[in-house]
Amino acid sequence: MSRWKYFFKRLLLSVPVLFFVMTFIFVLLRMGPVDPVAARLGPEASGADAARMRERLGLNDPLWEQYLDYVTNFLTFDLGQSWVIYGDMDVIEILSFAGPPTLWLGFWAILLPLFIGIPLGFYAGLRPNSGGDYVASVSGILWQAMPNFWLSIILLAILRQTKGGGWLGFDWYTFGPEIRSITGTPDLSFFSGAGIDWSMLASDIKLILPPALVLGSASMAAELRIGRTAVLETINSNYIETAKAKGLTNRVIVWKHVFRNALIPLVPVITNEAFLLIGGSVIVESIFNINGLGRIFFLATIQGDLPLAGALLFIFTVIIILLNILQDLLYTIIDPRVGYEQ
Amino acid sequence: MLALLGGSASVGLAGCSALLSDDEDDEETDFEVSEHAEKAQAAWERIIDNPGPDAEDTRTEAYIEIEEAVRDDMVLMPTHHSKGEFFWYDYVDIPKLGALGRHHLQHNRTEVEGDTELNLISATFDELDPIMSTDTASSEVIAQLYETLTTYPAGVAEVENQLIESFETSEDGLTWTFTLKDGVQFHDGQDLTADDVKYSFRRLAESEYSERVNFITASTGGLGIEHETDGDGGVVPDSLGIEIVDDLTFEITLNEPNPAVLDVLTYSGFAVVPEGIVGDIDGYDGEVSHDEFRTEMANGTGPFEYDELNPGEGMRIVRNDNYHDTVASVESVHWEINEDPESKFTYAMEQNADFFEIPTSYYDPSLIDAETDDSGREFGTYGEFENGETTSYLAVPELGTFYFAFNVSNVPRPVRKAVAYVMDHEEFINDVLQNRGTEAFSFTPPAMWPTGQDGYEDWVDEWPYSPNETDRGSAGDVLEEAGFTEDEPFEMTVSTYETSPAFQELGELLREKLAGLGVDANTENIQFSTLQDRGEDGDLEMFSLGWIWSWPDVAYGHFGFEPKNTDTSRMPSETNGYYLDWQVNLEDES
Repeated sequence: MSRWKYFFKRLLLSVPVLFFVMTFIFVLLRMGPVDPVAARLGPEASGADAARMRERLGLNDPLWEQYLDYVTNFLTFDLGQSWVIYGDMDVIEILSFAGPPTLWLGFWAILLPLFIGIPLGFYAGLRPNSGGDYVASVSGILWQAMPNFWLSIILLAILRQTKGGGWLGFDWYTFGPEIRSITGTPDLSFFSGAGIDWSMLASDIKLILPPALVLGSASMAAELRIGRTAVLETINSNYIETAKAKGLTNRVIVWKHVFRNALIPLVPVITNEAFLLIGGSVIVESIFNINGLGRIFFLATIQGDLPLAGALLFIFTVIIILLNILQDLLYTIIDPRVGYEQ
Repeated sequence: MLALLGGSASVGLAGCSALLSDDEDDEETDFEVSEHAEKAQAAWERIIDNPGPDAEDTRTEAYIEIEEAVRDDMVLMPTHHSKGEFFWYDYVDIPKLGALGRHHLQHNRTEVEGDTELNLISATFDELDPIMSTDTASSEVIAQLYETLTTYPAGVAEVENQLIESFETSEDGLTWTFTLKDGVQFHDGQDLTADDVKYSFRRLAESEYSERVNFITASTGGLGIEHETDGDGGVVPDSLGIEIVDDLTFEITLNEPNPAVLDVLTYSGFAVVPEGIVGDIDGYDGEVSHDEFRTEMANGTGPFEYDELNPGEGMRIVRNDNYHDTVASVESVHWEINEDPESKFTYAMEQNADFFEIPTSYYDPSLIDAETDDSGREFGTYGEFENGETTSYLAVPELGTFYFAFNVSNVPRPVRKAVAYVMDHEEFINDVLQNRGTEAFSFTPPAMWPTGQDGYEDWVDEWPYSPNETDRGSAGDVLEEAGFTEDEPFEMTVSTYETSPAFQELGELLREKLAGLGVDANTENIQFSTLQDRGEDGDLEMFSLGWIWSWPDVAYGHFGFEPKNTDTSRMPSETNGYYLDWQVNLEDES
């Protein structure tokens, strides 16, 4: 089987997955025990009020008709309406304001670990079993062990107490661009027709740094540890010995041979972590009060807003399927062994 | 895929537990179930038959009889009445709130020193259309934009005129004539007229968007206005008993005399909007689409006008300089939408919110320095907080009752009584709620007890189930008499809902206290909507819930106890009582 045939086979496989997930969501929605009408109206409503709303929302149509409607709507990206959290608002409209903050958070949550985790891992790998290696590895494991919700709360408590000086000796609120609150949704209007508003960009970055650091914390530690192992493996391989024997300087060996090869095992690690970000954003967005998809998904599930939760679940599925395809594509390109039969 | 399944686990799990418990304990029990359902049924019928102002004593007596029947059959064990606690910085001056909650407070009398904007925190809300508003977050905003005919100023339970100058009632109590205040204008400058009121009331009754039609049509727990219904149970267009007399005068006709008319009218669904603004009822095309009316604009008579709403982020309103009463001193009010306790507390500590509530994890009762006033409110200071500030503090006993109830046909009476014997209200309030609530021994809160404060105290003195102690002895006795022992225990599930950790803790506490006595209780945590659903299916045993009064009327709480109205097999379309199945003990079960 050729590499590209393998890739297209993987691509085709995602179609039944998509249908399976849609059907699963539909079953949860229409046949599960949670009644969205009751969730919307609350305990004070009368049965007649509920019956009228059921009719208005089309819940009295035959089930197969509802299923057909639902599948065609989803495939044409008509994701329906929220029923409880944002009564009757189109899901597309909700995405339009909740999507960007989540992307902004995700972008930084991937970027920060890359620029902290990988260099630290390489640093530790190049000095195995030294004091610096131990400090980096142990703190990496500790960092990974701390749960996100706990890190978030601690970070909030520390940062808000720096207001007006405080016991840390610096004021996070006035450090760099001034911010009013450490929680809240980034504005994200720094880019306009007139170019980029740098001060707005700076405060948006400042606002997103603490939650992104928390969200990226697990990945950061994983990258550190895998980076360290990869460097170690590469250093001890035969071709490095050869390079040494050829008399190349350490600098050339490290930059030209070790780093490039050590990056290969990190590629799937990084794409895999994008999956974790979707789950993690639920907690981090709630605690930092970011009006993003994660927080809305959380509200939708606890308040029984099934159409909204279902639509978001569908979107997450599509994103994850796309990431899977991207990962397969990267594998196909990078690793020549992919697709070969044994 | 893992992340995806993780996200849907909560929905999936709730489904499993509901399915699993279906096939449990279906056999009929021969145990004594209850004997006071007849009494409750008769008392409720007497309340319905005697609506007039002269029959108040009859009703009072009947209300007490219902409370007695509930207590003696132990179909419902009240745990606590709610208490609202508010904190505000010393640069803010806010009217003292009353028992009906902060969503009745209009901010035209709130002052903020050194700032032109009042900053508040709100939960997520999704609409500004008064007839869709069923949550306190949106009614708090709607109360600034739109106004009702009558009001509870700052939530104090004494009803006052808001948009009306005066009213008269006919001798039979069926016709009410209202005269509107002269010179009241909507935000767009139009004068308020009787036609606007009729249109607004018709929307509440006829619009497909209305979520509280029963508040205008139902005689108990509503206004009970005259109307005709069509085949589907909807209100026939333009059939409401509202007669326009002149520009400022109109009459409404009720089906039965209703002593609570002025109270019911304070509900935000009765807020007056300009005639014809939306075309969602017969005879109107609408000036704006319903979508726009719901979130993008407002045109009321309130002290503030719409400025901007960012769904999920915040809402801002600005002062109405043309307001018919005291014009506000603050130029604008801003709500930050913030639901997470940590984030809310952070926002308050940054002094971004001027007036706030604090999560239990940051609450320390020893920092309160307050005195109790005549209406039971504690007023004083709290502090200092971690930011070094000491704030004003107000604790208000609110008209809300939280409880554990039983599905009578699933849990025999001795078991229900045993639960009441081991329940220690004092311990629960002090240790679990950290005093953020008051002990409840009746469904009706003490503030609206039908026979007044003394009557309420007598009631508490007569509470038969060892108040404020864990009486395992008596609990064991009633259980043993009924044949439940440690070896042959009665098994039941205690269902609590996810958003109330206090109930989960209490459920666990009661489970431990009953252990070894003849009741083997399991606790489970389910979503609120799942709990409601299973309640309607009669598929619960012991469960936690609460009831909050929108106006202080005993009947608007007691209707849920009418045994025939607790029949879960006819829910939700024909009955709307509490999920008790109390009717199974009526001789004439129908």
